[in-house]
Amino acid sequence: MAAMTAALACRGLGKRYGDLVAVDDVGLSITPGQAYGLLGPNGAGKTTTISMLVGLLRPDAGEVLVGGVDLAREPLRAKARIGYVPQEIALYPELTGRENLRFFGRLFGLPRRGLAARVDEVLDLIGLADRADGKLGAYSGGMKRRVNIGAALLHRPQVLILDEPTVGVDPQSRKAILDGLERLVADGMALLYTSHYMEEVERVCDRVAIIDHGRIVADGTRRELVSLVGGADTVELVLDGDVAAAFGKLRAVEGVSEAARTGESSVRLLADGGRYLLPSLITAVEGHATVTAAQVVEPDLEATFLHLTGTTLRD
Amino acid sequence: MGRALLTVSAHELRTRLRDGTAIVIALIVPVTLATLFGLALGGDDPPLRATIGLVDLDGGEFPASVRREVAGAEELKGSVTLRDLPDGGEARRALDAGEIGAAIVFPAGFSARVGAGEGGDVTVLTSAGSPLAGVVAGAVVDRISAVVDARTLAVRAALLAGVPGDEVKELVERNGAAGPALALTGDPLAGGKVDLAVYYGSGMAALFAFFVVGASFRSLLTERKLGTLDRMRAGPLAAWVPVAGKAVVGFGLAMVSVCATWASGTLIFGSSWGDPLAVLTVLTAHVLAAAAITMLVAARVRTDAQADGVIMVISFVAAFLGGSLVPLHSLPGPLQTAALLTPNGWTATALAELAGSGAGVAAVAGPVAVLLAIALGAGGLAVLGLRKGMLL
Repeated sequence: MAAMTAALACRGLGKRYGDLVAVDDVGLSITPGQAYGLLGPNGAGKTTTISMLVGLLRPDAGEVLVGGVDLAREPLRAKARIGYVPQEIALYPELTGRENLRFFGRLFGLPRRGLAARVDEVLDLIGLADRADGKLGAYSGGMKRRVNIGAALLHRPQVLILDEPTVGVDPQSRKAILDGLERLVADGMALLYTSHYMEEVERVCDRVAIIDHGRIVADGTRRELVSLVGGADTVELVLDGDVAAAFGKLRAVEGVSEAARTGESSVRLLADGGRYLLPSLITAVEGHATVTAAQVVEPDLEATFLHLTGTTLRD
Repeated sequence: MGRALLTVSAHELRTRLRDGTAIVIALIVPVTLATLFGLALGGDDPPLRATIGLVDLDGGEFPASVRREVAGAEELKGSVTLRDLPDGGEARRALDAGEIGAAIVFPAGFSARVGAGEGGDVTVLTSAGSPLAGVVAGAVVDRISAVVDARTLAVRAALLAGVPGDEVKELVERNGAAGPALALTGDPLAGGKVDLAVYYGSGMAALFAFFVVGASFRSLLTERKLGTLDRMRAGPLAAWVPVAGKAVVGFGLAMVSVCATWASGTLIFGSSWGDPLAVLTVLTAHVLAAAAITMLVAARVRTDAQADGVIMVISFVAAFLGGSLVPLHSLPGPLQTAALLTPNGWTATALAELAGSGAGVAAVAGPVAVLLAIALGAGGLAVLGLRKGMLL
C-alpha cells in the first residue's frame, strides 16, 4: 500500500559484482514531504543504491517505483519525477550558471517558451539570481553546489535525491543549502539525502536508514534509532602516549560496548552509564597513556551509528 | 527526443569550436600537411612497368588477338609485358607473390561460345600493389566485352532470321557483321598514373578522420569524469541521446575535414581524385569505420587521457599499414597483407582505383562494403562496451 502512494520506493534491491555483494535486499519508502536520510560508512553501498534508484545502474534484483511508476519498465516517465544531485559538481565550468541551467532544462524537455522563466525561478530559489551570468569556473565551492542542486530542480521533480550535497562547502553556503532543502520539503517534495555530516542528517531528515555491508541494518525516526542504543552514552577521550595500546585496554573495560579511533590521539566509546565509567576508563589506560580531555555525550544518531556499524561515519 | 539530441549536438559543436581543436585538427593540420606532402613529393609517378598474366584455356581467336594487340600497341611498349600461365590457380599464386600485376583468364571454349552467340565471361585478377597492370587488364577486357556483345548480337539476329546454326558463324564473318575486331584504342595507360599529391592528400584525409571523430567520443569520457554524463543519464531522456548527439558532430566534422582536404588538393594541385560521387562514397564509408573504431576505444578505456593515447596509436598504425603515410606498393609483402586489416588500406586502394581509372561507384563497391562491415562490427562491439562502461 505504501508503494502506491510513495514518491520513491524500492523493494528487494540487490547488486553483485562477481562474488562481492554490493547491495543486498534494500527496501525503503519515502512519502511526499518526507526527508529520508541514508547513512553508512564508506563502501557500505550508499552510492550503488542511489545509482540504482536514479536509473544509472540496473539492479540484479528488486524494483524501484517512482510515484508508482516502475523505473525499469517506464524509465523516462519515472526519471521525469526524479531530480538527481550527484556528489561531484556535474556542470560545465566554461558555461555560466544560467547557461548550465538552460542546457539541462532544454535537455530535460522543458518547453521552449517557459524555459527562461523557469531558469530565473530556480536561480531565485538557489539565491544566485544576481550572479547567474558569471562563468561557473569562477564560482565559489558553495555557489557551484547550489547550481548543482538547481540543475536537478528544473523539471519540477517530485523526489530529490542528493548524494553528499554539501561536500567542501563553507558554513554560510551550507546553511543556505539546508534552508533551501527544508523549504522544498515543506512544499511537499520528497527527499533522499546522504551525507557524512550527521548533524545535517539530524537537522534535515525526519526518517533515517543506516546501511552497512550493503544491507539496511536500521530504519526509523531519529527517536526510534537513538532508542536502539538504550542507555549508552558516547564517551570521547583525547589521549597522550601509546594510543594504540590504550585503545586496546579501553575496549576491554566492562560496560564498553563499542569503541572506535576517531583521530591520532582520540577515541570514541559507547558505554552504559558512561559518566560513571570515567574513573575506570582513566585507570585502564594508566601505564600506556594519559587522558588529557574527556567528554560524555547523551545518546544521539552518531552513537546509534557506532552501535550498529562498529565504526564512525567519517572512517 | 529530437530536441534533446539537438541540444547535445549543439553543445558539443560549440565546445569543439570554442576550444579551437575542431578547426586545427579538422582543417588546418590535414590541409597543410597534404599540401606540403604534395609540394614535396607530388607529380606523376615515375614510369611504371607491369607484367600481365594470360591464362589461355580457350586456345581460340580471342586470346590470340589479345596477344597481338598488346604486343602491337605503341603505348604499352616497354611498360607492359604478357606472361603465359597454365591456369587460374597459378595466376593467383603469381599475383600474390608479386610476380605479375594482373591476370586475364580465358575459360575453355570461350571463343566457340561467342561464335555460337552464347556470350562468355573473362576473369580479371588484379592487385592493389599494381594499379597500372590492373588498369591495362581492365582496358583489354572492356574491349573484349564490346566485341563479344557485338558478335553475340549479330549471331542471334542471324539465327532469328532463320539461318541454320552451322552456317551462322560463316555468314556473320563473311558479311562483316561480327562487330569491331579487338583493338586497343587511345592510351590504355591514361588512367594508370596516380599523382602522389592525390595519394598523400587522401592519406592525410584518412588519417585525420580518426582524430576528428575520435575527439567526440573522447569527450564522452570527459563528461563521465565531470559527472555531467551521469546527470544526463539520470534525466528523462533516452540513454542513446548523449552518445548519438556527440557521434553526429564527430561524424559531421570528420566529413568536413576529409572533404576540405580533398577540395584543397584539387584546387591547389589541379589533380582529380576521380568521380566525385564515388570519392564521397569512399570517404563517407571511411569516416563511418573510423567513428566505429574510435567509439570502440572510448568504450574500452577508463579515462579521456587513455583514449587520447590509444586513438593516436591506432590512427598512426592504421595510417602506416594502410598506405596513408607510405604508398601501399612501397611496403613489403606481409605489410601489404596487413593493410587489409585497416580501413585505411581499403580506402587507399579504393581512392587509388578512382584516381587512376576514372571509374564510378561500382568499381569501389568491394572496398566500400568492407569499410561498412568494419563500421558495423566495431560499432556493435562499441555499443556493448559503452553499456558496460555506463556510457550508454
